[in-house]
Amino acid sequence: MTGVVLAATIGTLFALGTFLLLRRDLIRVVWGLAIISQAANVYLLAMGGIAPATAESVPILAGHGEHVPETADPLVQALVLTAIVIGFGMTAFALVLSYRVYEEHDTLDVTELGESE
Amino acid sequence: MTATPVGTASTLVIAPMLVVLVAAAGTLLLGRHPRARTAVSLAGGAGYAIAVAAIDWYIVLAPDAPGIATYQVGDLPAPFGITLVADGLSAFMLTMVAILGIASLVFSTRHLPGGEGRSYYFPLFHFLALGVTGAFLTGDLFNLFVWFEVMLMASYVFVAYSGGPQHTRAAFWYVTLNLLASAVFLLGVGGIYATTGTLNMADLAQRLAEPAAYGLDPVPVVGLLGLLLSVFAIKAGLVPFQFWIPTAYRAAPPQITALLAGATKKVGIYAIIRLSFTIFAGAEVAVDLPLPLVGVAITGDSPLPFVGAALFVMAAGSILLGGIGAVGRDSMEGVFAYSSIGQVGFIAIPVAIAATAAGPELRTFAIIAALVYALNHTLAKGLLFLAVGTVRSATGTSRFADLGGLAKRSPPLALAVFVGSLALVGIPPLSGFFGKFLVFDAAARAGSGPVLVLLLVGSLLTIAYATRLWNRSFWGARTDAVEAATVDPVQIAILVGLAVAIIAVGIGFEPVYEFAETAAEAALDTEGYVDAVDPQTASELAGSNGGGH
Repeated sequence: MTGVVLAATIGTLFALGTFLLLRRDLIRVVWGLAIISQAANVYLLAMGGIAPATAESVPILAGHGEHVPETADPLVQALVLTAIVIGFGMTAFALVLSYRVYEEHDTLDVTELGESE
Repeated sequence: MTATPVGTASTLVIAPMLVVLVAAAGTLLLGRHPRARTAVSLAGGAGYAIAVAAIDWYIVLAPDAPGIATYQVGDLPAPFGITLVADGLSAFMLTMVAILGIASLVFSTRHLPGGEGRSYYFPLFHFLALGVTGAFLTGDLFNLFVWFEVMLMASYVFVAYSGGPQHTRAAFWYVTLNLLASAVFLLGVGGIYATTGTLNMADLAQRLAEPAAYGLDPVPVVGLLGLLLSVFAIKAGLVPFQFWIPTAYRAAPPQITALLAGATKKVGIYAIIRLSFTIFAGAEVAVDLPLPLVGVAITGDSPLPFVGAALFVMAAGSILLGGIGAVGRDSMEGVFAYSSIGQVGFIAIPVAIAATAAGPELRTFAIIAALVYALNHTLAKGLLFLAVGTVRSATGTSRFADLGGLAKRSPPLALAVFVGSLALVGIPPLSGFFGKFLVFDAAARAGSGPVLVLLLVGSLLTIAYATRLWNRSFWGARTDAVEAATVDPVQIAILVGLAVAIIAVGIGFEPVYEFAETAAEAALDTEGYVDAVDPQTASELAGSNGGGH
């Protein structure tokens, strides 16, 4: 059940991101990028899955001595943390760039930008 | 605790990264002191060259060298920590980047574009080098993603660096494309983790070779490798992912474009070779992809035939599109940008031949051809883009309409560009001759007629655009811009130095070939790679730690 919901969510996010990426407005394009990179993060989390913890996946729990609870894979969370930071920085940079584009070209319309070449 | 011994060889692996990192931080701190900044920057470049030379000699080339060395970051054993690996392939790539990086760095001290952003130029330069170096040395798939990002972030700023309206626009497209590529990279990485349960490259190779022993089904990795391949093709600028190259290369300062073409492109090529051959070649997957529309069936027992077929198509497109595009450009950097699309095709063709090769002999030979061609492209295209920088700083333009008669105005400049162009064309005794010769030889040994014809057409196009560039800018009547030009002697010295390097590689080709051979053997030696990294399982680790408490 969780799997289906996650798959549907990730699919929807990617669809939404792609739709926004194909718009004519630069700000929407940046939003599209942000959503796609978040969708990739959710996908990464989903790839870890939830499993009974073993010494293989969570060594600290194995040394705990008592009942080991079911856990989410910690590795993908570390990966996602890195990816979120990178994605956040890049979204900010893309927004600044699009503001600069607006200042210099007086438009945020992708088609008009292409014509001004 | 039986930690991996930290010897000199092991520490050497991380040395070039530490040197650039210190140089990047140092130049950032000295932002307000231009002289000290330049000095630190040059010292960083020299230190980098020394570190790379030390890796070349002590790890790869010396008679008693181990051939491969690893550094476990934080002394965490693989696959739990991040592993850095230096082998022949990494060393070959690093050497290429070091030669070009030094040239570009010294060039930058003479001709620093930009106004207020100037104090950030050298830190960014070193961060770009850091990303490239990290990508060549890492032995971890996710870490590779991180180094790609480090490299890209610096290059984003460089594309926007000159600050004009067209630069900002070019940077926006460049950022958009690469952010999308990063997301695709993450999809590939996540999928591979879910399929195999590891991201350490050596562990990955080990698990894929014996999927049954680890209880995994390796079939999805073929598709996931395809995802990664498309990301690396974007970095390398192979057709159909080439469209960002002309605008980005025109927007970035020329000495950075030299690095983008000479170094970051090679990261894409390196990643394709490393992942396809060292890591995924041993995967036991039955690939059976009938393509009735084109009448070809892709079959095999590893993902390599699939990689080979995809690369053939992309490389053929690149050679044709790059060559035809370059013939019609109206500026020097426009010609070289399209030319570098075509030249990457020439590097990808032997890689594709290696992927589809029947025997190990042809496979090694084809990889050697690719590496030698990559070296030639780095030297020649680096020289030519730096020459664009010289022409621009001397005359203020690089458009053919405003140029002419440069040959008489500055004979050394003309000579250097002449050598660079001939190296692209492939005239003996320059490095380009051996590059072209080996690629043709690999295609002939593979017995592929259409590929030979394609290479021939590509070579003819190279001659066409190189001749046209020469006629338009170096011969003919001097224009006003050329008449008023003042050519910087240090820049000329750098160009001549690179030209001499191209000739030297051609004349003393024997050691270069041996180095490339070592690199190609390292790229194909999955077993040696796995043994050197020595990925352990958690239970093995617990045993060696005396119970793990």
